[in-house]
Amino acid sequence: MNVAEKKARVIEPDSLIGKRIPKMDAPEKASGRTRYIHDINLSGQLHGKILRSSRIHALIKSIDVSAARALPGVHVVITAADIPDQRPIGVAKDHFPLKVGRVRSQRDEIAAVAAESEEIAEAALKLIKVEYEDLPVISDPEQAIMPGAALIHPEPHGADGSHLHLKQGMSIAHKGKPDNIAMRFDYVHGDVVQGEAESDVVVEDTFKLHYVTHCCMGVSGMIAEFDASGNLLMYSNTQVPFLHKREFADYLNMDPARIRIIQPPIGGGFGSKLDIYPFEVICLYLARAAKRPVKMLFTREEEFLASPTRQPVLLTLRSGCKKDGTLTFRQVHTLHDNGAYTSWGATTPFVMMQTFSSLYRVPHCDYHTAAVYTNNPYAGSFRGYGNLQATFAIEQHMDMLAEKIGMDPLEFRLKNAQDAGETTGQGMSFKSCGFKDCITTAARRSDYSRKARENAANRGKPGNIKRGIGMASMLHVGGGAKIYPSDGCGTILKMDDFANVTLITGASEIGQGSETVLSQLVCEELGLPISAITVVNNDTAITPWDVGVHASRTTFIAGNSAIGAAKKAKSKILAVAAKKYDVAEDELDLRGGFVIQAASGEVVVELSKLLRNLHFQDKAELVMTTFYYEPPSVHQDKGFKGDVSAAYAWGTQVVEVEVDTDTGQVRMTKVTGAHDVGRVLNRLGIEGQIEGGVVMGQGYALTEDLLIQNGVMKNPNFRDYKLVTAPEIPEMDIAFIESMDGEGPQGAKGVGEAPSICIAAATANAIANATGVRMYELPFTPEKVYRALRGQTPKLYWKPWKAD
Amino acid sequence: MTELKHYFAPTSLDQAVECLKDGDVTILAGGTDLTPQSQAGRIKIKHTLMNIRHIPQLTGITLEGREIRIGALATITEIMEHPLVREHLPVLVEACDHFASDQIRNAGTIGGNICNASPAGDTLIPLLVLDASVELASMPEAKLYRHSMPLSTFFVGPGKTRKSLCELVTGVRIPLPAPGHVARFFKLGTRPALDISTISIGVAGTLKDGVLSNARVAFGAVAPTPTRAAQTEQALEGQRLDAATIERVAAVARDEVKPIDDVRATAWYRKEMIHNITKRILSHVAQA
Ligand SMILES: Cc1cc2nc3c(=O)[nH]c(=O)nc-3n(C[C@H](O)[C@H](O)[C@H](O)COP(=O)(O)OP(=O)(O)OC[C@H]3O[C@@H](n4cnc5c(N)ncnc54)[C@H](O)[C@@H]3O)c2cc1C
Repeated sequence: MNVAEKKARVIEPDSLIGKRIPKMDAPEKASGRTRYIHDINLSGQLHGKILRSSRIHALIKSIDVSAARALPGVHVVITAADIPDQRPIGVAKDHFPLKVGRVRSQRDEIAAVAAESEEIAEAALKLIKVEYEDLPVISDPEQAIMPGAALIHPEPHGADGSHLHLKQGMSIAHKGKPDNIAMRFDYVHGDVVQGEAESDVVVEDTFKLHYVTHCCMGVSGMIAEFDASGNLLMYSNTQVPFLHKREFADYLNMDPARIRIIQPPIGGGFGSKLDIYPFEVICLYLARAAKRPVKMLFTREEEFLASPTRQPVLLTLRSGCKKDGTLTFRQVHTLHDNGAYTSWGATTPFVMMQTFSSLYRVPHCDYHTAAVYTNNPYAGSFRGYGNLQATFAIEQHMDMLAEKIGMDPLEFRLKNAQDAGETTGQGMSFKSCGFKDCITTAARRSDYSRKARENAANRGKPGNIKRGIGMASMLHVGGGAKIYPSDGCGTILKMDDFANVTLITGASEIGQGSETVLSQLVCEELGLPISAITVVNNDTAITPWDVGVHASRTTFIAGNSAIGAAKKAKSKILAVAAKKYDVAEDELDLRGGFVIQAASGEVVVELSKLLRNLHFQDKAELVMTTFYYEPPSVHQDKGFKGDVSAAYAWGTQVVEVEVDTDTGQVRMTKVTGAHDVGRVLNRLGIEGQIEGGVVMGQGYALTEDLLIQNGVMKNPNFRDYKLVTAPEIPEMDIAFIESMDGEGPQGAKGVGEAPSICIAAATANAIANATGVRMYELPFTPEKVYRALRGQTPKLYWKPWKAD
Repeated sequence: MTELKHYFAPTSLDQAVECLKDGDVTILAGGTDLTPQSQAGRIKIKHTLMNIRHIPQLTGITLEGREIRIGALATITEIMEHPLVREHLPVLVEACDHFASDQIRNAGTIGGNICNASPAGDTLIPLLVLDASVELASMPEAKLYRHSMPLSTFFVGPGKTRKSLCELVTGVRIPLPAPGHVARFFKLGTRPALDISTISIGVAGTLKDGVLSNARVAFGAVAPTPTRAAQTEQALEGQRLDAATIERVAAVARDEVKPIDDVRATAWYRKEMIHNITKRILSHVAQA
């Protein structure tokens, strides 16, 4: 190379996409510097605590708070009587934050205290006297749905015992319900009677899915403060700041414009912060009454008792196929234990029916859910949103049907798997679809077929350790989900005079790494290093609108929104450069912090210099852009049909286990996964997401079990609620199928929920492969497996509830 | 909350037992049982909280004549790593290896494990089959009084022992195992780490020419206390460990225990596991 050549500086092409980029918040979190809500204290702040019911189902006869009010250091004590304008909360508006006249579950809120310290608040709670009159506890949804069952939300009676017929349009919290059915879902495509007539084999089984809970490392909390003008500032861990702002305004009967939500770094969400819970509204009542900031933090026990759970489900599935391996029909009835109040758990059928109708090609599908009130805890949204439950049943039936017709289960799945270009009976249209690639890749990498054969042959041989291998696949929304009329997200982007960029996004960071991925996408467009970006994503007074973190939507929706804003900034910059340097705009590009000649990579001008010029010229201008992205998906029609997501994610996981037939212990030895993620954006981030999801699925399959007996939670602590610990985590081999989705940001699709969905189903199939015994009920604790192996488990059978 | 009025950290055994005289004292060692139990409201901290961690007489692991003495303050980690224990008492190392997590092992002490008297206490089972005795100290008059009793008679119920409120456990003594001594421990839980035993089993004895004598069997989490299993020991004593004997002994064991149903398992499953694991352990011993 000679000296002359060296002078023209050339910037080599480079890309951030697919690289291993550490999460931007990792150094702070790993060094303990992150300031979670626990670490935030406002001057003058009081501490709020809630008195919960000591009964499961009872009438509240009286509440005496006089001694609590008299305790020095106590500022406010409230009960329902102090908030005459209480409005019901929750998905079905069947829930007063402070209970009125009746408690329906163990977590029910009766009174709340704001005091100068947590200790004083605790002491005050102990001084509150409540008289109850016990009512019969209904803890079994099968009983609760029976005609004549005692009611959880009875219609109010007049003094003479007659029904008070309240106005239409009033909420359940006011007018009650004549039965215990909180919600029903009925979906159909095709004609299952015809499907069954065409079937050569039919299987029918009942599956039982249990209670688990999110176990976020950071317990729930919030700080509320009203300023002197009556404006409300909340520090909140919500996953849905904009929609919740509106709801909070409703509950407080105030103008939403006067509410501002700041989200401190959130110590885990996984769906748990998708609804508004009583404690949040109660904290606002306390702050309003005390005229002081009030901070409320759960204890770990409270986190167990008063957080939502994953939806428990009793599910009867009837499936059929022809001898040649063509699926013919699926008929599904589920009984959802709604608990005492309705949150998102009741709406998991939205996702469950997609799995039944569309994971594999099924010409006839009939799906029904009844969500039934009981005195149990209530379920919310939880990573996977019903899909773990649906997949558990379906993927076991795939193995069972294959066995019945004597077909290789892998071939059977491939024969019925969806392809790109198909539109399902439910109206989901698969533009990119790497499903078959997922199946074959996971099978090849795990040596599935050979191992399955050998394990089955080994069942009868001596030795107490039996190896098994099992497969399951999943379909999940990967391009947002139009569950509201909009599924959009806004971005504001600004560049400063040093070519640093600030990305202001509506999308919340809940630990999933969205901040980092969005930064990558923006820096990729603008040819900047990751170090040149600052992300602002946690203040409703600053950030543009978004519908919240759910449905694995953030990378896709907020990513497209961020790219849109970055593209606008880029074209503005290039236009300025083109004019100034007299080059055609399309011959220029941005790379490495420079404006360059696109073809040669030769530097035209340093970007920061160009921006400074722009700022200091006579007609000064700034590079600031906005963008709003709305995906091309549609809201479902009344029959739950429609292309609800802009893209769909696929995945196959193969689980290997060792079952100790002497003890029933199941050791998960290896998980091989193949995920159609569209495209890998941050390799480190997506690996972390998958590994974490696998472990969450493992806990669901093997160890986690929130025990509820007669409405009482038996194990609200980490000693008896068993999360998976480090030594049990299996070896993992994760492959990515890059189907390059046409609508996705750089081709990517959502993957947040995907990795936890298949594990329980694949584990059930692996246990069956190892032992020949089918497990219909989760979790696979040693005792449950041992009982099944010894033939000590009665066959589950739930007679499906029929739609009227 | 606590009634705590007073905190005391004695630096000698005399000071400690003197303080214990009035009985209104809660003893704090590693705090890994005390802290969660008091926070959950299951126990109340008394007038004085006495931290015993600065008392030199309660520390150390030493060979004294034909006995190994483990000070009450020895942590699970220290025991697990100590050369004397590793050489002579591998069964205790085995139990420590399945005990909680590193963090808890670094703080939790053997004295605390003994005094907490949980039916599922993991060091208790190997200590029982090793014929350990507990050293106690008190100050009935003006003088330090020390005595010891066999661990097998120490426990009376969950959380209850024969130690009086005025006594301190200073250590455990374990006779050096004789040549031909074999011992095994097995802990069963839902997960391999950080779990409370669903059941645990210890077996020990002297194996000579295939015959087991001085048989010791202890079970955890199947009774109100960790217990020696007299009938199972009797069935095992002086037997050659062939398949038929092993099956018979395992059946005796299953019938001998009277467990309960709780959040961890049902009584039925516990009895099954006592049978299956006893069988497994004895087969291992027979092969050794
Ligand atoms: C997460 C977790 C996991 C656990 N896992 C296990 C496990 O796997 N296996 C198991 O066996 N245990 C387990 N434990 C229980 C506990 O760690 C053990 O029992 C431990 O040995 C207790 O020792 P400590 O020094 O912490 O006792 P402390 O908590 O300090 O004391 C326990 C009790 O003994 C009394 N005491 C302590 N020392 C003396 C003494 N020298 N003289 C008189 N009284 C005394 C105290 O007053 C108190 O009542 C676990 C605990 C936790 C929190």
